Amino acid sequence: MKALNKYLAVASVAARSNLAYFGEAASRLLFLAVILYIFMRLWKVTYTETGAAQLGGFSLEQMLWYLAVTESIMLSAPRVALLVDEDVRTGALTLQLVRPLAYPMYRLWTTMGERVVRFAVNGLAASVVAWVLVGPIPWNPLGLLALLVSLPLAFAIDFLGNFLIGLGAFWLEDTSGLVLIYSRITMILGGMLIPLEFFPDAVRPIMQALPFASMVYGPARAFVRPDLAELTVLVVRQGLAVLAFSVLIGLVYRMALRRVFANGG
Amino acid sequence: MNLAVELDGLRKTFTVSKGSLFKRTRREVVAVDGVSFAVPQGQSVALIGPNGAGKSTTIKMLTGILHPTSGNARVLGLVPWNERGRLAYHLGVVFGQRSQLWYHLPPSDTFNLLASVYGLDKADFAKRRDMLIERFGLAPFLDTQVRKLSLGQRMRAEIAASLLHKPSVLFLDEPTIGLDVVARQELRDLIREWNREEGLTVFLTSHDAGDIESVAKRVIVINHGRVVLDDKVSTVRRKYLGCKVLSVKFHEAFSTIALDGVTVLKTNGYALKLEVDTELVSIERVIHEVLQAGQVADITIEDPPLEEVIAHIYAAASNPEENGYAEEEVKTT
Repeated sequence: MKALNKYLAVASVAARSNLAYFGEAASRLLFLAVILYIFMRLWKVTYTETGAAQLGGFSLEQMLWYLAVTESIMLSAPRVALLVDEDVRTGALTLQLVRPLAYPMYRLWTTMGERVVRFAVNGLAASVVAWVLVGPIPWNPLGLLALLVSLPLAFAIDFLGNFLIGLGAFWLEDTSGLVLIYSRITMILGGMLIPLEFFPDAVRPIMQALPFASMVYGPARAFVRPDLAELTVLVVRQGLAVLAFSVLIGLVYRMALRRVFANGG
Repeated sequence: MNLAVELDGLRKTFTVSKGSLFKRTRREVVAVDGVSFAVPQGQSVALIGPNGAGKSTTIKMLTGILHPTSGNARVLGLVPWNERGRLAYHLGVVFGQRSQLWYHLPPSDTFNLLASVYGLDKADFAKRRDMLIERFGLAPFLDTQVRKLSLGQRMRAEIAASLLHKPSVLFLDEPTIGLDVVARQELRDLIREWNREEGLTVFLTSHDAGDIESVAKRVIVINHGRVVLDDKVSTVRRKYLGCKVLSVKFHEAFSTIALDGVTVLKTNGYALKLEVDTELVSIERVIHEVLQAGQVADITIEDPPLEEVIAHIYAAASNPEENGYAEEEVKTT
């Protein structure tokens, strides 16, 4: 219980600290509103031109609200890998290692605190844009529950992926290239712009099974098209991804700690 | 005597790779080479040495961040690299060049966070925090965002933050770096007070001789990974330069002083500055000569600055062959 309290305190401080970045939050929101408006307009034109009531099983309302959720998720991601990379390369890691905290847990909870604030702000702005363009999404408590359950797990998977890349700094000169590849793969395979239903049947099951889908597509789809059975599958997939990544990170982190040089203070 | 820190033959080597992908050379670099010493509880020790001497590596092993290649160490009876989690509750660590305070939040928020991290009892924490706020003069800026504080204010808050959980050993790595003269002195006074009043063991690394003089009673000099000197600060000063500086002001013109072991550093009107090698000539003899040279208005005797002492020690210890230090080439592929 004490351990949980300390990490909740870490998350709370990280959340409050993030609120201090007014300039950054404002520019992020502006970017979110602009790209969301463009993509939503594109989808609106697509639906109008094809005359279809549904595409890939999504109505126009569902599609635009799906986009609102996926964009909010993607743009709420803190730069975990770069922070870990920086901690390793500058030796700032030493400051965390001399405290009664586990460094991966410290980074997990700072990320969670920060991301919850960012997602809440993004979600609010994205909802306004979606509401203005297509009105509210039909109220479904299961959709909200799906989001509340799957989102923390999605954030955890994304954190673990990024943390793993950041640990690469123990062996690589620079991990920014890996970060770029990871974020682009997440955008495409995670279904940020196009739901996975639009991909060919041959690759869709593979994409759905990958952790990228559990991070973006899964929670957004569960929110706009809630289904208890599908939610269960999603949560199981997310749980397995968290487990697999955690084991991997446990091994890599142990090796990494052996390589701590942190020279020169 | 209870020991706070014990090191026995502590050694740390790093492997450094060089060259291209196909022709890589690996060298084993000895960062710490069999360091042994013990520090009793409540003592204030300065660990000094030139850049790359191995002092930071030693501190990192003592705080459990690095595993040694060989040798043993105990801090408060615990093996740091095996029991880092337990030890962390009893250590305070301040890195002058890194901050533990949250940059966009006031120091009070970091204090509250640290209370949770160290699992402090609410009432105990409030009492301790209030005492530190008063002693470190933090009240005027306690609720100001860290980014808006001066470096001096920030460092006071940093040290107070590292004392919140009542550590038994405080590691200070260049705590006064970048501070102005006043802030530096304030900080030194606070550390010294804490060392005396709370019986806190202070382990200081610094390049600033003033820090060492003000804070530490004992100085351990490390060079090329080895302890080259371990003695009281006052003894080191006396033993290693064996000279005093005499500043004399006369009422009138004075005659020349010519004595073996006396060097005239400066003359300016009726003022004279002499360096006296006390191994060659006694201070009494020199004062006698000075009084003969003219009518004296004022006379002061000073020890040489510690910077000179340290420079002297570094110079004496800088020959790698003499110290048996060398990078060992172990493998070429």
